[in-house]
Parts: sequence; structure tokens; C-alpha cells
Amino acid sequence: MKKMEPENRGAFSRRTFFKSLGTVAATAATAQVTSVAAELEKVNAEKIIGPAAVPVTLKVNGEKLKLMLEPRVTLLDALRNYSSLTGAKEGCDRATCGACTVLLGDTPIYSCQKLAIEAQGVEITTVEGLAKNEKLSKVQQAFLTKDALQCGYCTPGFVMSVTALLKKNPRPNAADVKHACAGNTCRCGTHPRILAAALQAAGIETASKTEVIDYV
Amino acid sequence: MSNWPAETKYIGQNTPRIDGAVKVTGKARYSSDIQAAGWLYGMILRSKWPAAKITSVNLDKARQIPGIKAAVRARDGAFTVRFYGEEIAAVAGTSKQACLDALRAIEVQAEVRHEFVVNETEARKENSAQVWEGSANAPANPRPRENGNVDTAFPECAAVIEGFYSTPVQIHNPMETMGNTVSWTDDGLTAWSSTQGISSVRDGLAGALKLDHSKVRVVTEYMGGGFGAKFGAGVEGMLAAKLSKEANAPVRLMLTRFDQALAVGNRPSSFQKIKIGATADGRLHAFEAENYGTAGIGAGGDSGGGGGGADIPMPYIYQVPNTRVKQSAVAVNAGAARAFRAPGHPPASYGMESAMDDLAAKLGIDPLEFRLKNDPHPIRQREYKLGAEKFGWNQKYQKPGSSPGVVKTGIGCAGAAWPAGGGSRDTHGDAQINPDGSIEFRFGVQDIGTGTRTVIAVVAAELLGLKPEQITVRVGDTNFPPGPGSGGSTTCASVSPAVYDICQKALQQLQTQSGLADARGENWFAACKKLGVNPLVVHGQWQQGLSADHACGVQFAAVEVDTETGLVTVKKVLAVHDCGLIIDKLTLESQINGGVIMGMGYALYEERVMDDLSGVVLNPNFETYKLPGLADVPDIEVVLINMPERGVIGIGEPATVPTAGAIANAVFNAIGVRVGSLPITPAKILAALGKVPPAVAA
Amino acid sequence: MKAFQYATAHSADSARELVAGKGAYLAGGNDLLGLLKEYLISADLLVNIKSLPGLNKIEHGRKFWTIGSLVTVAQIEDDADIKKTFPGLHEAAAEVASQQIRNVATVGGNLAQHSRCWYFRHRDTVCLKKDGDLCYARNGENRYHSLFTGNTCISPVVSSLATIFASLEATAIVLRDGKETRMSMAELYQRAWENPLAHNSLSNGDLILRVEIPTARTRSAYLQASDKHAFDWALVSCAAAAEIVDGKLKSPRVALGSISPVPHQVEAANQFLDGKVLDEATATQAADLILKDAKPLEHNAYKVPLAHALIRRTLLKLKGEA
Repeated sequence: MKKMEPENRGAFSRRTFFKSLGTVAATAATAQVTSVAAELEKVNAEKIIGPAAVPVTLKVNGEKLKLMLEPRVTLLDALRNYSSLTGAKEGCDRATCGACTVLLGDTPIYSCQKLAIEAQGVEITTVEGLAKNEKLSKVQQAFLTKDALQCGYCTPGFVMSVTALLKKNPRPNAADVKHACAGNTCRCGTHPRILAAALQAAGIETASKTEVIDYV
Repeated sequence: MSNWPAETKYIGQNTPRIDGAVKVTGKARYSSDIQAAGWLYGMILRSKWPAAKITSVNLDKARQIPGIKAAVRARDGAFTVRFYGEEIAAVAGTSKQACLDALRAIEVQAEVRHEFVVNETEARKENSAQVWEGSANAPANPRPRENGNVDTAFPECAAVIEGFYSTPVQIHNPMETMGNTVSWTDDGLTAWSSTQGISSVRDGLAGALKLDHSKVRVVTEYMGGGFGAKFGAGVEGMLAAKLSKEANAPVRLMLTRFDQALAVGNRPSSFQKIKIGATADGRLHAFEAENYGTAGIGAGGDSGGGGGGADIPMPYIYQVPNTRVKQSAVAVNAGAARAFRAPGHPPASYGMESAMDDLAAKLGIDPLEFRLKNDPHPIRQREYKLGAEKFGWNQKYQKPGSSPGVVKTGIGCAGAAWPAGGGSRDTHGDAQINPDGSIEFRFGVQDIGTGTRTVIAVVAAELLGLKPEQITVRVGDTNFPPGPGSGGSTTCASVSPAVYDICQKALQQLQTQSGLADARGENWFAACKKLGVNPLVVHGQWQQGLSADHACGVQFAAVEVDTETGLVTVKKVLAVHDCGLIIDKLTLESQINGGVIMGMGYALYEERVMDDLSGVVLNPNFETYKLPGLADVPDIEVVLINMPERGVIGIGEPATVPTAGAIANAVFNAIGVRVGSLPITPAKILAALGKVPPAVAA
Repeated sequence: MKAFQYATAHSADSARELVAGKGAYLAGGNDLLGLLKEYLISADLLVNIKSLPGLNKIEHGRKFWTIGSLVTVAQIEDDADIKKTFPGLHEAAAEVASQQIRNVATVGGNLAQHSRCWYFRHRDTVCLKKDGDLCYARNGENRYHSLFTGNTCISPVVSSLATIFASLEATAIVLRDGKETRMSMAELYQRAWENPLAHNSLSNGDLILRVEIPTARTRSAYLQASDKHAFDWALVSCAAAAEIVDGKLKSPRVALGSISPVPHQVEAANQFLDGKVLDEATATQAADLILKDAKPLEHNAYKVPLAHALIRRTLLKLKGEA
């Protein structure tokens, strides 16, 4: 998934990764790669780590992302600045705009207000992980059909919020959508279309209220 | 004389945007997503004083922070800062974290000036601190602009009202902040900019850095909104360039949301004192207004005061035989204004339309009828009548304040005029038609979210007999033929005629080269095949007669006002707009929705708040600079007045102009008293209703 | 945000040991990371307490329910039993911020959150709450500030859970110096009433473990008024709880948020309401009592009629849910 990043960008080779585990490396190296994160968590438990960069493994869109990160690096920064996953956007970096929304498990969260180190061991889904084999998800398709986007910068966040809502509640009404999307900001003013798209993805069609009238 | 086809398959229909899929999947690379090889993170240190002389900026310790590769001063030598947030220095490093640490390691010595002013009303006073030393913040006696004779006209009026209407400083706050990734090497400079004007950014960078234009390339594949604030490279662009040069690496320097509120533009405030009178038959007869507002340090300045970016068109869309208008821009210690979606018009519409309703109430006539009597424009006349019928104005209208109960309902309307919206004659484009029938358009314009790529594809598909998805469109690169900045609602009207020109030329050449009488539609691929091995490259440009300017528009709003909590709920907005030839109904409607919602934010929530004592912006975030959300947004109905005979006209700006006025009038209609200042908050509603007790001395 | 060390604690005791000195507990992180990003506080070590055992549960007892401090606000909102037993708590949880925040925000974090005063939250103003010598808000932009205060700082408590918990007479169980301490909501914020530097009565190292809610009050309601319709702080919030026996209020309690550094409660009003049949006139008199000593400032006086309306509406809502 991830291409080799330039120097100091946090990516590191498998060898340095295990080396950085220090004495644990031997144990971890012999174990399944999938258990590395669990091992790490156990080792790090009650152990003080940082402030310098430490190995962090994130499971993003079904793939492992192994990074060297200072504990203060947020999940959003890890995705956008330490990997090539720029789908989640930085709109405020203060948990107010929702452009950075990703799913932890099935739960939408603001990735800007979550430390990457805390997000280990949980399946993370970003907007890049929704389309399967180039086929748009139901929610993505509805956003496209209903033109529920303008500049598109808030779109990944809204798509994630709506996706999470439909997982929790497959037949939401307008009030449910408003409640679920209250934490997402759009400055282009695409809200009515986002509402229509969310409902369409839930199988509820709303008609456009636009009317064209000839002047002459 | 060119003409748009009368029968259309795609023009005027609903075409989902052709770049929608990359936007909903996160594949679209916005300027802030650019990860040029070896890129560094950049950040800016800003003044924490509203006024100070910066005597020294020591970057040594910042440079020692691990990962820091460059550090530069915003200006050489000692310099003066005049607002909180003005740029002092910038750093670039291998991580955001390194930059954060480096900013705190920069040592700044300053002679802090305690004389500053951030409040425009205070700034007008004679003894106010001066923003620009030795020059008044505002002219003492702005020169009036007069028509007829106001002094004799007012006594001739049957009804006269005097009102005071104010609007706050509004911040653009596009979802993607300003910024660039800049790579400056000996070969030249490339900037991936979040901009509305790739050409103006190129010219700005080239000029400031003394580079040949040919050495500067600006790329904007996707950008996250601008609304008028993103035409130049800005100080942040220059700093990114300097950092890139020093570090010999690309630098991505995007502003933080905090930065965004301080230094990169806003809509000026307005404080409108309006006196307006009408004759007994309901004709406007006299209008007198004094308006001042602030464009931050952008007002006043070296020119020694004088009118500036804070002026608004008065008495807006109405013809009044006798007028006197005085306006002044007041300098304060705050970031300068920039163009903001329909500059001058939303405050003008709010003030004038409020005064119209206040006068209508005094005359005892229906405000819609009052408008029809006094608005001379035939298109708005028709829009008001159509809209009133669809909205049910006559059934719903009740006298101001007569709605019963605690939660009162009200309706209001307001009108817009937008003089621009036409095309720019300097728009060029290319198309490359390949022997396999694939076709690629290249325009040096940018898509700010309005759907420029889709517009190009729709027009081309229509004229070539293809499908929009068969058209590849590339925009946002100064290596492409030059196009206009996306401002003044001109992009659609600029590119559409150029696409028309390209298609006409392409068809002619294809017919000549292929020998086919008509290369369109089902013949397209056969014709292209005859090109042999060489693609056909066609250049075209904007043509007269396919676009027009000057749009109108009227909006109706229905609100509920809870008279105990002060909460205003906008239930419905009906937006009636003329937009000439409709290219893509889907994206057009999106823009109108967006205009209404931005206007609603202006009416009810948005306001930059500054602190008089410390001079800081108190709400440089989305927590306290409040934007409308999904739960606030009303049911929006759009009526498009189809006028294909006028050609293409832009809609982005007119759509946001009348909303605040319509909502404010609906609130007035509901509660029977005027809230004369935006935003109309619960606090102001309760105050207008006389429910708020006096303050107890602190 | 300055660099810090990080550790995950697996017991409350080890958490307390780790946090001693210049450490901070990390649960949902909404407030903590916000403070750190603006350099309003500094912490050398963040102690992740999310895996502390036993604190993420809602337990139903006969006399009281226990809500662990790591229970998220979303968990409360989505809990059908809470909605039935403490409807006001459900309503308060649903009004907290946004879905993304509710999903990570914990009960403990909501109660312990710091002031939202925009002078306090501003990186470049040194106000009373940051050990400066001036309350900028008092003569400045005070539209969101307190009508009541016991000190010179006028920043109000904004925890909506504190408001509803106060009306339900809930108790916070706090681990302090290795011992469990019980604090009423009034006690949990008392220090903020007295001391401009304090946001609540917790000292460094204190850890909220759980909240106990008596089940006696079978009726509860919560309302808040904001500038916007969602994802906005309350201008005023109001909670009320009581039993209704033979049509009359029993043990009623009313509490308000965002108008005082503590959940604002007036015993005289609670006593006045006790035994009364709820109607518009009774609710109005209670509201008068509750707001009697309000000291409105230049820009926040609107909170007086607003709070008055909310008190009346919240009380009448208790009745409506018969």
C-alpha cells in the first residue's frame, strides 16, 4: 500500500523496526508478524516510552502501516505526513470540523484528536478503504449521484460519518443524519445534498426541489 | 456570431461531476496533500502583539532543533507589525513536530506598542490610537456622493425611517486553509497552491522573487475552497519559497486554522446609518446613508485613510431620485480584508433590505408590494412574482409581530444584483484529439469546487456528440493555456465559450482531414482514426456572444423564532435566480445551495470577535467562529430562470447576496422588532424583545 | 504540542504512580490534547488509562446505578436502560458535542474538562485562570460567561453531564492519595467557585473512578440552549430530577450549567418545589428563586431570561413524562 517515504518521514525498514524493539526483537521476530503489535503493546504497558520516536503499527484499510513516531504524533498526522494516506483531511486540527474523520473499528472519530500510538491494535478505516476493487461504496456512489460535494475537502469526513451511521442504523431518518453529521463542517454549503445522499444510500429517495422556468 | 444549440442532450441537464469519484474516494490530491519527494513541513511564527516594532528575530536556536532544515525571517531588519498574527518568521523541517518546537525556540525582541485599536467605532474617534502613525484611521469628513436634493426631498416624504444596521467582519474559512508546497531549485520554481488563480499566484511569485514567469509553474489540481481569499501567493507562499531555497527541498506550508482567522483576509464590517423616505403612494423618494467599516490594516494605510475596501453599493438595487451617501473605511489593528464572495453586496443587501421592510412597516404596506413598486429591474420583477407564488407569500404574510404564541413565525424577502458573472476574454484552452478518439482538454483555470472540469466536459460532449465521461479535462496548471482567476462568478462563462470555440475548430479540421461531412457522435471515432498517427491539437479562446454578465436573484425565507430562548430556526429558503444558459443543473443548484447557506451563516452565526484590551482575535477556530451545520440548514428550494438567449452567466456570488436580508426580514416579521445587527444571535433577539435586564456593575 | 512520554496503565494505582509529578491522564483525549496543542498546560508524560479494568461499565443497582468513568458519552446516549431510567441523562449525553467526540469522550473527562472561556483557551492571553492578574472577560467579551461566581474569574462550568448529575444528586468517586473519596457535584466543582485557577476540585493525580446515581428520582429532564441547533456549547443548560408522588414533586432538584463555575443549584428553590404540583406558576416561581442573585455583565445578561425559560421548560418536561 505504502511507497517508500523519503528520509526521516517516519517510514523505516523491517530491519530497523525489529532493531528498535531492542531486547524484545528476538521474541517478536520469531513470532507471526501479525502479533508484533500485540507484543509491543504488552511490552510497552506500564513502560514509559518516548518522547523520541517509537515504533507504531497501525492497521489501516486492512494493511499494516509500520511507522516510527513520537508519542505526540496524532493519527491524522501519521496518515497524512508519515504515509501517503491523505484522504483524511486536516481542516482544523482541533476536533471541530470533521474533515479528518476515520473509523476506529466501526466508530467514527476525529483522527486529529487521537494519538497514533493509541490507535494501535484497532482496525482503522479511512476514506481510501471504502471502495472495493475500484467499485464505489454505496455511500460514495450516493454522494457522487446527488452531487453531495463541491470543493470536496470535507467530503471524506462526511462520507465516513454517513458510512458509520448506516452501519449502526441502516434506515436512518433525516434527524438521525443531522445528528450523526453535526460534527462535520462544510463551507461550500453542500448540506442539503449530503442529507439527500445519506438518505439515498439508506434506500430513501428524496426528490430535487429545483424547478426550471423559462423567462420568456 | 456564435450560438448555443437549441436542442441539448447534456447542456442544462444533471451531469454528476466528472471528478466526483476521485473526491469521494480520497484519491484527489489537494494542494495540502502534495508529498513532493523529500518534502519538508513548514510553519509560520506570528506576532502575539497587535502592534510592535520587531527589533530582532534570532533563529539560531530554532535551527538547532533536530529535523529543522531552514528558518527565515518574514522581513529583513527591524520592522513594525500592525496586527495580531502578522508574520514574523518561518521554519521548515522534517516533521510538524520539529516545526512546532522550532517556532517556540525563535527568539523575538520587540518594542511592544500599547497604542492600538481593534474596534472600528473606537478607531474613528479623534483621540484613537493610530494604526498607521501620523495618519488618521479614517477620513474626518468623507466626501458625499449625491443625487438630486436630499434636504428638500425628506420633507416631501409621507413616511421616513431612520435605522442603524451593522454587519460583522466575516472570515472566509475555506475548509482547506491557504498554503502551498513550493519547490525552488536552480531550474525554477514549482508551487502546488491552494488557489483560485494559478496565473496570479505565478505572477506574484515571479515578481516578488525576481524570476522569469517562464521559470515559475503553479499547479492546483484540487483545492478546498477559496471564496475570494485565495488569489495571491500571499506572505505564506513567499515564505515557503524562501524556505525551499534555503533547505534545497520542497516545503509544504499550509496555514493552521488559527492562522486562517488572522492574516489572510475577511469581509469588511459595515455600520450603516440609513435614513429613507417614501411618498404616500409607496415610492422611494429620499435616501441618506453614512457607512463605515473596517478592512483591517488594509484600510487607511500609507494613503492616509480614505475610502477603501469597506465601501458598499448604496442604496443597492433601488432607484431613489434623491440620495446622499457618505462612506469611509476605518483602519484597525487587524488583518486586511480580501475579496469575499460578492464583495460589498451581502452587507449592502442586508442594510438596504432591512431599511425597506422597516419603511414598509411604517407605511403599512406589504414589503413585497413595496419592492415591486421600487425595484426597477424587469428580471427581479418577474423573479419576485414567480417566487411569491411558489412560496405562498400572500397566504403566509402577516403583519410584523402578529404571529401568536411563544414560537413565532415570519417570512421575508430580499433581492440581489451581481454586475459581473460574465466571461473573461483572456480565456484560452487546448484540446488534443487522439487517433483513438480520446480527447483531452487543457485549461489554465482551476476548479474551486464549482465543477469547472464538469462544465468543460458537458459543453464538449454536447458539441462533439460524445458523453461527458468520454472527455478528459485537465485544469490547474500554468503550463496549460492561460485562463482567468476564479472570481466574480466568471469561470463558467469564461471556459464555456472557449470550449465552444475549440469544438467548432476541431470539428472543422476533423471534417477536412477525414473527409466526413460530420465528425460528431457516431462518426467521431471514424473521423479520429483518419488522423493517422498524429493527434490533432486545437487551440481556442473565449468568443463573444456566448456569455453575459449581470445576474439578478431574489430569495424568500421562512423562520421560526423562539421568543424565550432567542433561537432562530430557518425553516425554508426559496432562491429564485437567473443564470442565463444552464450548463449543468446539478452543480448549479449546488452553488445556489452553498450561497444560501453561507448567507445564512452571515445572518445568524458568523462574526470575528476581537478583544479590545489585548488586541487578539478571540475566536480563531470553528468552536467559537460558528458556521452553519447540517442541523441548522433549512429546506432550500431553487427556481432557475432559464434564459438561454443570454448565454452563460455565473451564479456563485449572486446566490449568497440576498439571504441575510431575507432572513433578517423574516425575523423582523416574526417578532415585530428589528435586530439591527448581524449575526442575529439569541442574545440579540432577547435584547430586541426587551427581555434582558441591565448589567450589574462588575 | 510539546513532546511527551507515554505509558499505558493497567491499574489505577500504577496510573496514579505514573502520573505523579508532571503527568496527565489520557482517556478520550478531547480536552487534554486541545489544551496541549495550545500549550495551555504542559505534561511530560501522558498516562493512557483507557485499559484500567472495570471502569467502562454501567451497572444497575436497586438504589443506585454506577457508571464507570471510562464509559463514553456515546455509550450513555445509546444505552436503552439509561434512556428509560434517567431520560435526562440520555438527553444530556445526546447534546454533548458531536458523534465523533461522544464516541471517545468519557464520563470522567467530561466532568474534569477545563474552562472553555475564550480568554483561557487563547494561547496569547494570560488571564486569571492562567495565573495572570486580570480577568479579560469581566470587562471584555463576556457573552458566554457566568451570572454567578465566588471569585474574580467568571468562566462557567460547561460539563453537561455535571448539570444532569447534580440534579440526580449523583456522587463522583475519586481516587485520591490511594483512597476513594466521595464527592457531590457541588463538591467536585467547589474549588472553581473559590479559586480562579481551578477548573474543579480535583488535584493533580486525582482520578475519577465512577459516578453513582441514586435511582430514587424517577423523572429527569435536560435542556440546553445554544446559538446553533447542534454541536454548539450550551449558552445555558438546565437539568431537573424528581419523583412524582400523588401528582406532587418529591425531592426535586434543579441544576444549571454554563452560568456559574459550579452546577448552579439553589436549595431554597428545591425546597420550594418539594411537595408542589407542577404548573407554569410554580415553575416560574422556582425560576425566580434560582436566578434571584444573578449578577449579569454587559454581554451575558440575556442568560437571565434564557435560563428562566429553560428552568420552566425543564420542570414542565418532568411532568410531561408521566
